[in-house]
Amino acid sequence: MCTTVAGAAGVSAHRRDEYLQAARLAIDPAAVQLELDLTPGIALADPIVAAIDGNADGSFSGAEQRVYAGKVMTLVSLDVDGTPLSIQLDGSRFPDIASMRRGEGTIRLQTSATLPPLSSGAHRLRFRNRHDPDRSVYLANALVPRSYQIAVTAQQRDTVQSELAIDYILRGAPPRSSAAWLIGGIAVAMALSVLRMRRGRDQ
Amino acid sequence: MHAPLRIASTVCLSLFAAAAVTGSAQRATPPASADSAANVTARIVAAANAVLATLDDGGRAKVQFPFDGPQKSKWSNLPSGIFQREGLRLADLTPAQRTAVNALLSTALSRDGYRKVTEIMRGDGVLGRGQAQGRAGGPPPGGAAGGGGRGGRDGNLRFAEDEYFLAFLGTPSVTAPWMLQFGGHHLAINLTLAGRQASMAPSLPAAQPAMYEFEGRTVRPLGNENDKAFALINALDEGQRKQAILTYRVSDLVLGPGKDGQTIQPEGVRASSLTAPQQTMLVDIVREWAGIQNDAFAEPRMAEIRTNLAETYFAWSGPTTNGSAAYFRIQGPTLVIEYAPQGGVDHIHTIYRDPTNDYGAKFSRK
Repeated sequence: MCTTVAGAAGVSAHRRDEYLQAARLAIDPAAVQLELDLTPGIALADPIVAAIDGNADGSFSGAEQRVYAGKVMTLVSLDVDGTPLSIQLDGSRFPDIASMRRGEGTIRLQTSATLPPLSSGAHRLRFRNRHDPDRSVYLANALVPRSYQIAVTAQQRDTVQSELAIDYILRGAPPRSSAAWLIGGIAVAMALSVLRMRRGRDQ
Repeated sequence: MHAPLRIASTVCLSLFAAAAVTGSAQRATPPASADSAANVTARIVAAANAVLATLDDGGRAKVQFPFDGPQKSKWSNLPSGIFQREGLRLADLTPAQRTAVNALLSTALSRDGYRKVTEIMRGDGVLGRGQAQGRAGGPPPGGAAGGGGRGGRDGNLRFAEDEYFLAFLGTPSVTAPWMLQFGGHHLAINLTLAGRQASMAPSLPAAQPAMYEFEGRTVRPLGNENDKAFALINALDEGQRKQAILTYRVSDLVLGPGKDGQTIQPEGVRASSLTAPQQTMLVDIVREWAGIQNDAFAEPRMAEIRTNLAETYFAWSGPTTNGSAAYFRIQGPTLVIEYAPQGGVDHIHTIYRDPTNDYGAKFSRK
């Protein structure tokens, strides 16, 4: 067997000196869910660990996690039709330090923002991520809406995906399906028939 | 039976019959060629049992996991040393055990699929030898900075053709759902079988180096994927290309490991606006992933994808000259494929998913 490399890098080039920040946004009629995954490359692990582990005791305490999450969220913004939204941190998951130093540690921040009452029709949600721009690569995507009332019509991003504008249509509450009405009507008719027959027997 | 009751019953039965006929038309998976798929499952089960027969109690305990458990989503593109895999490690096996595993894989996968998997694994061996050269003091091939030659954390990484792991989730069965999981650096095959049905989603074929020499020939484990995609983007007219090409850079997989259960909004050019030859090219690209599994399962899968082709999108990010590093995505109602160069053309990650049937969810739904 004889193998030689005919290509560029001969060593694994997993993300080393970049901070991958991947945002996924889900729009519901009354709220937006934003999930942000932060994965530092191996070469960035030590400074990121130091930024989180404030007392340098080798672990991420709950308080340290909240502080770091809070810092990140001050650099993330959402607005709908130009109206800023208040983002709240609903939960977070931090890897252990060893995982982060191995390059497999992803911090996951789960946040949400309540939407103001909006009229049916077209709207635009805008997301911006200004966290650590000098050494970050970004991904930002809208998820397929869970609600029938929301239809995403377009997404526009800046070239590095630190900004994402999602155009969507808000529909009114869905009508009950005509099939459901028909089946319900038949069920009622059957019940009435049975009642009439019973009354007829009783009389 | 009294008249009102008879009429109501007839109407109800008619409604139920109508719903049954119309309800599953668009997105159902066409039934596999019943005999061939069942026979293939039986052969895979036999091959899996043959592997088990070569193992002692300790080996069997290592390879078997519950069907529903954390092992199902415990797969990654990362190498050993960063990601700890469970299961039977090829490097720990005897030659007879390795032969049994190879027989299992060649039964479960198509001929091209088995070739692709083998080439990915062999490429990891090439990567490992390159790392060893770097450690010995010579420059890593290609002169990559920050490579394994510096030791340190990278010194714990292991790249090798036999650093791959096999696991069975559930008991190999010709009827009940179970999963064959095989993977290592740059490879994750998650094949769920349930009688005549199978799903290979999610799976992750990747490659580094993307090109190497073996026995006098040039090997590109993901060469077809790359070349067919560049052919398609260059076959589009100006209007189609404008829809297909994203105006932003995509640096990595969006739905890679750890992103189960998420469906992003499709983007790009819709297949319904492609010409018939262009659609054929698109389907041919998809086959590079869907066709990794045995043909008996790949054909109904391809038929399902063709059924939904009109709602399938092709998106592109990056240059359109073959030889460049460009990202592309193919997304339909039952399909997500991403192809993401990692900073250059020699290191590629891809993902293959079915948002409606990852891990054979449809087969094992209670």
